[in-house]
Amino acid sequence: MKTCIACGMPMKKESDFAMGDTSKAYCIYCAKEDGSMQSFEEKKQSLVNFTIKTQGLDKAVAEKAVENMMRQLPAWKAFF
Amino acid sequence: MKTKRQIQKEATRKLILDTAYQVYASEGFSATTNQIARAANLSHGTIFVHFPTVENLIICLLERFGLEINAQFHLLAEKDESLETFLAAHISVLIRYEDFYKRLISEINVLPQEAKYVFINIQSVVSFHLNQVIERDQEKETIKEIPMHIVFNSWLGLIHYYLTNSYLFAAGSVLTDHKDELILNYIKLIRK
Repeated sequence: MKTCIACGMPMKKESDFAMGDTSKAYCIYCAKEDGSMQSFEEKKQSLVNFTIKTQGLDKAVAEKAVENMMRQLPAWKAFF
Repeated sequence: MKTKRQIQKEATRKLILDTAYQVYASEGFSATTNQIARAANLSHGTIFVHFPTVENLIICLLERFGLEINAQFHLLAEKDESLETFLAAHISVLIRYEDFYKRLISEINVLPQEAKYVFINIQSVVSFHLNQVIERDQEKETIKEIPMHIVFNSWLGLIHYYLTNSYLFAAGSVLTDHKDELILNYIKLIRK
């Protein structure tokens, strides 16, 4: 099973892939409307906002946790 | 193709992580690398060939644990599942790792900072799936108007309270014994 290079989510169904295209290496949540992959800053911001919304974390803590997660992912290696 | 030496190196690294998981689950994170080495039948120095510091060992172990547990959450979670099914899936994954998870949540405050971030990211996968279920139920107006982080933290708070005080509630697996009761009553609290 493929794992999204930008957020690490396993992609088990066609609908998990960006634009439903199983040849893509990133998931539906990491794609922009035109199907291209979100930039590093876009992805980081959306993950930080999501972490604050769903877990109520302090912004600085959320940013550190997101950076720590993104550091492990193939799409963002060049940013660390 | 991997050389025999590489295969051996990977096997030893895996053995150390597997053993550290078992030792930390039974003794807590204050267990020493000497204890881990003895339990793995390795020399103490071998641990440090693979993991330069105790902090590094703990972080690598948590990252591996996070990948494993999150893969299971993703596999069990379905987009159109009910709240009951999702909460049951969450508990059933935690039951598989109950002893280790209990140590982790009890001792997270004394673990290295990076380990705390790994822990947050483990919870992010749970909050991601719970958020999908709750948003759908909120659209159907079957859930009370409660901020998402309170919905999530209340669920986590409930199961973590039972886990960290398991001696109050069960002789064996507290999640196995109280799973149905916790799910049923948590849903009563948040559903309209």
